Parts: sequence; C-alpha cells; structure tokens
Amino acid sequence: MKILVTVKRVPDPNATIRVKPDGTGIVTDNLKYVVNPFDEIAIEEALRIKEKGGGAEVVLVSIGAKVAQEQLRTGLAMGADRAILVVAEQDLDPLGVARILQKIVEQEKPDLVLMGKQAIDDDANQTGQMLAALLQWPQATFASKKESLESEAEKNGLPGIQMANGKAQVVREVDGGLETIEVPLPAVVTVDLRLNIPRYASLPGIMKARKKELKEIPVAELGIDVTPKLRVLRLEPPPKRKAGRKVSSVQELVHLLHTEAKVI
Amino acid sequence: MVSFEPSEEQRLIRDTVATFAQEQVRPQARASDESGEIPAALIQQGWELGLTQAVIPEEYGGAGEAHSAVTSVLLIEELAWADLSIACHLLAPRLLVVPVIEAGTEEQKRRLLPRYTLDSFVPATAAVVEPRWDFDLSSLSVTATPRNGSYVLSGTKCFVPLAADAEHLAVFARIGDGDEVGVFLLERGTAGMTILEREKNMGLKGLATYEVAFDQCQVPVEQRLGGASGCDVNRLLNLQRVALAAAAVGVARASFEYARDYAKERKAFGVAIAQKQAIAFMLAEMAIEIDAARLLTWEAAWKLDRGEDATREAVLAKQYAANMALMVADRGVQILGGHGYIRDHLVELFLRNARGFATFEGLLTA
Repeated sequence: MKILVTVKRVPDPNATIRVKPDGTGIVTDNLKYVVNPFDEIAIEEALRIKEKGGGAEVVLVSIGAKVAQEQLRTGLAMGADRAILVVAEQDLDPLGVARILQKIVEQEKPDLVLMGKQAIDDDANQTGQMLAALLQWPQATFASKKESLESEAEKNGLPGIQMANGKAQVVREVDGGLETIEVPLPAVVTVDLRLNIPRYASLPGIMKARKKELKEIPVAELGIDVTPKLRVLRLEPPPKRKAGRKVSSVQELVHLLHTEAKVI
Repeated sequence: MVSFEPSEEQRLIRDTVATFAQEQVRPQARASDESGEIPAALIQQGWELGLTQAVIPEEYGGAGEAHSAVTSVLLIEELAWADLSIACHLLAPRLLVVPVIEAGTEEQKRRLLPRYTLDSFVPATAAVVEPRWDFDLSSLSVTATPRNGSYVLSGTKCFVPLAADAEHLAVFARIGDGDEVGVFLLERGTAGMTILEREKNMGLKGLATYEVAFDQCQVPVEQRLGGASGCDVNRLLNLQRVALAAAAVGVARASFEYARDYAKERKAFGVAIAQKQAIAFMLAEMAIEIDAARLLTWEAAWKLDRGEDATREAVLAKQYAANMALMVADRGVQILGGHGYIRDHLVELFLRNARGFATFEGLLTA
C-alpha cells in the first residue's frame, strides 16, 4: 500500500492578511507560512492508515518554490516516509497543479491519493476533483467520520477511512448529514475538517525528518503545459464591518430586521 | 560573523513547541495555578513531544542529536511563555538527563538514560538550592564527605521540583570541606534521604516543589556524576542559568503580549489606551527589554554550544533577564489598571511567577 499526500505551503490562518494597495496580491513580508490545515489532516489520516490499518508507505508531494521544503519537513517530522517537491516558481492554477500531480501519480503509482479538500489561501476546492478526472480514477470528496473528535476512536488514533479488499470506505459530509460511499482503489480522496485532529510533530520526529529523502523535481522536467487558464483580476479586502446599532425592544428589532435589513 | 538565524530544524522545533504551548499549555495555566496540579493527560502529551528523549543519544535509545543549548533556550522560552509551572514540570526530567549526557561516565549513561526513553513520563529532578539566607552556589552547605570509597551526604535542599515522585535526583553538594562541588545521582528511596512536605510558594503554584533532607545518606562513588574525579559543575550551572534566563524572557513576553493586546482593545476618552503615550512608552520599553534579554541569553547559549566557558555571559543573561521579567510583568499589571490585579486576567499570575527569577536556581536546564 502506498499513499500519496499533497501538501501546500499557505499563509498561517491565524495571521492577519493584508491586500496590497494595487490589488495584485497580498502583502507577504514577514508572513508566517504553514502546512495547509486540510493537508495536515490528510497527512494524519495517511499516518493512521499506516499505523493502525495494516501498513503503508506515506509519500508527500508539494508544488511550489524551494521554501516549500519547510512544509514537507513538517510532514516528514509527523511521520511520513519521504517527500517530493516539484519546484515551480511561477503562479499555478488548480488545473496546472492537477496536471503536475497526474505526472507524479504516474511515476509513483500510489494506491490512494489523499488531499485536503481545499487550500486555505485561495479556497478553490478543485484540484482533487480535477486530478481524479485526469487520472480517470474514482473520487471521494469531503471525507469525514461518524465518531466525534472527542470520541474514544479519535483518542486512540483510529483512521476514519476504512481500507479493505482493494476498496476504501469513506464517510462524506453532505448537506444535512453524512453519506457513506465505497470506492475501488486506486482513488483520490479529499478530506474535510472533522476527519481527525492532527498530531504534533515530536522533537525526535523532527530530528529524524532531516535524514529522510526529499527529492526535488523541476517542473520543466515533467514536460507538461502548466500555463494558468485562470487570471486573477483584482484582490480586494472585505469591507470593514460597520458599527452595530442598539435597539430598545424586541418589537423594534424584529421590525428593523424585516423592513431595513430585510432578512426576515 | 554573527547570525541570529535558527537552523531549519531549530525553527521547526520552536514552531512545534510554540503551537503545543499555545494550544495545550496556555489554556491550563489558570486552572493549574488555582488547583496546584497539572493534568496527567497534559504531562503525557508533553512527554510525547519528546522534550527529554530528543537530547538522549541514539545508543541509549533516544533520538540523539548533539545536545544544544541554543535549541533548548528557543523551546524553553515558548513553554515558559505558556505557563512557567507547566514548563518546569514538563522539562524536569532534563534536570537529570542533561547532566548525565554532558558529564556522566559510560556506565552512568547506560544505567540511567534508557529509563528516560520510555513511553510515559518519568519524573526526575535536580536539588540545587538550599534554605539559607546566605545561599551561595560556590559554597554549598549540603556536604558529601568521602568515607571508605563512598560519600556521605548531609544537609538540606529546598525548592526541588517533583522531588516526591522523582525516580532520580541530581544533588549538588560540596565535597568534604573544600571548594569543590560534586553532583550525586540518587535513586528514589535512598536511605538517609527524606522528602519533606510540599512547599507553598508565591508563584509557580502548579509546580510541586519540596525540601529534601540528607542525614548520613551514603552514596557509592559510582553515583557521583563523572565518577571519582567528578565533572565540570560550572558548565552544568551555566546551562541552568541560560535556561532560567530563557524562561524569564518567555514569562515577560507573555505579560507584554497580554498587556499590548489589552491596550489595543481597551478604550479611554474615545481611543485605545495603546494610543496614549503613557501606555505606548511603557509597551515600547517592555519590548526593548525583552529583546535585549533574549540576545544576552542567545549569546550565552551559543557560547556554551561552542564548548567555551560561558560563566560571565550566563550570569549576566540570568541576572538581566530576572530583573527585566519583574519590571515587564509589573508593567503588564499596571497597563491593565484595576483589571490587572484581579484573577480574571493572567497578568497577576505572570507577575507572581516573574518575581521568582531573582531567587530561582536549578529549576530548569538548557
């Protein structure tokens, strides 16, 4: 069993994001970068399948500038076996990323590709679906689980995705509930927030990570066209929240919600 | 010539510990101060982070990199930022493990270190401070008198963290009536060693500290750190000093950040009080002092990692950081005004903890 997990370098979700005055992007000076939180959940799930679900090789892949090594090292410190960095300094859109991943999948031939359902920087939520389509593989998106994050199963680090007899059973988050589906392997599975709580890397894990393989592949070597089909026209910060207004009675509140805010 | 850039690995260690400190340790700070106890689950989680195991060489079952004072001060600042009591508890096993790695004989390493690579938290500690008004590290009153191929320990130590549960204690004692200091590695339950009642401290309330009395306590020479010829105790004390300096920086930064965030929110006369010069100047000075103390600490740690004598740097760093932490934590309370004095806010806890650095010794090691 081999599991390929995608890892994207994204700004720290706790950081305050400022948009550049000319609207071409965000201010990146002094910005802290982390592993995309959804990808962290994917790494954790892969490690659980490896530890509690009968063994697997966990391979990480990231695409981006050389500094993305940091995020791959974090994943290796958590316990992944090796990592691949596709070095691409240019901007990429989800289709470009999916095409690169397609090449890596063809090289690595994993049984399962685990991905965050989206990256918290551009929130596209497209790459996993596109990759499955390019590979003509089945896909299961928004993987979650029935047990809560306070349950014993979670405390014992049990995987939420069940792998057996060449199939993966995935509990999906859908509107108003959970849906359980089964996909034959190989497959692409994207994970949602409530699948697990990722572990902390340990200090010994961090030290071991340095000795693990981190292979770099220049994107040009893959021989594919990754020119973005998507162009960002302008970024704008969300409007500042206006100060609230105090009302004297429930009647007045309901009246204003109806006539002014027009929400009821 | 000079670089302040941590290595990629050090950065990863610091960030990991900082995330753990923020998400797991800080939320327990108030409750453990009130109850005097630290939840077992948190202690275990801290153990799984590998704070102790990471410095143990591979041949003794650890993760085994060279033990680095710089890496240690980076992570100690983060844990102390979250809570000093919990930081001291989680790091206590290092008080035994680090001296053994630094100065132990091969036999001592083989006997003691594997015990500290197991799956659950193993308490251990060091006994350095003595309950005397004229306590002086260079002239200890706990003595180890050589007698028939062993040593006889007499005297009293105080402020020994986790002594009641510790599997091993590293006891600092004067050899005979000379100036030499030796470290003795005692097992729990050694005859002649009595753990007295838990101490009641002004701060550090979550951390259990004890007086420990030695009465005709016989210790074979094999349990003297480094064997019959002893070891460089000064280096061990310097590692403790930089650790305390780093912890003081962490506590001060905690108070500064709390007060800064409060000052940006709290409005008076229509503007945030951080906009008022009286507050802004205080915050600026706090930030300057914290960074100054941190640089002194880093320099001392860097020198220790080069294997040089860093006594001067370590003493200066500890002294400066102790004063700085008290000043900053006091300002933290001041900036919150009346709110600073009540227990709804953490700044009063930071102040009680910061007050101790003037007297702390041997509570932590880098």
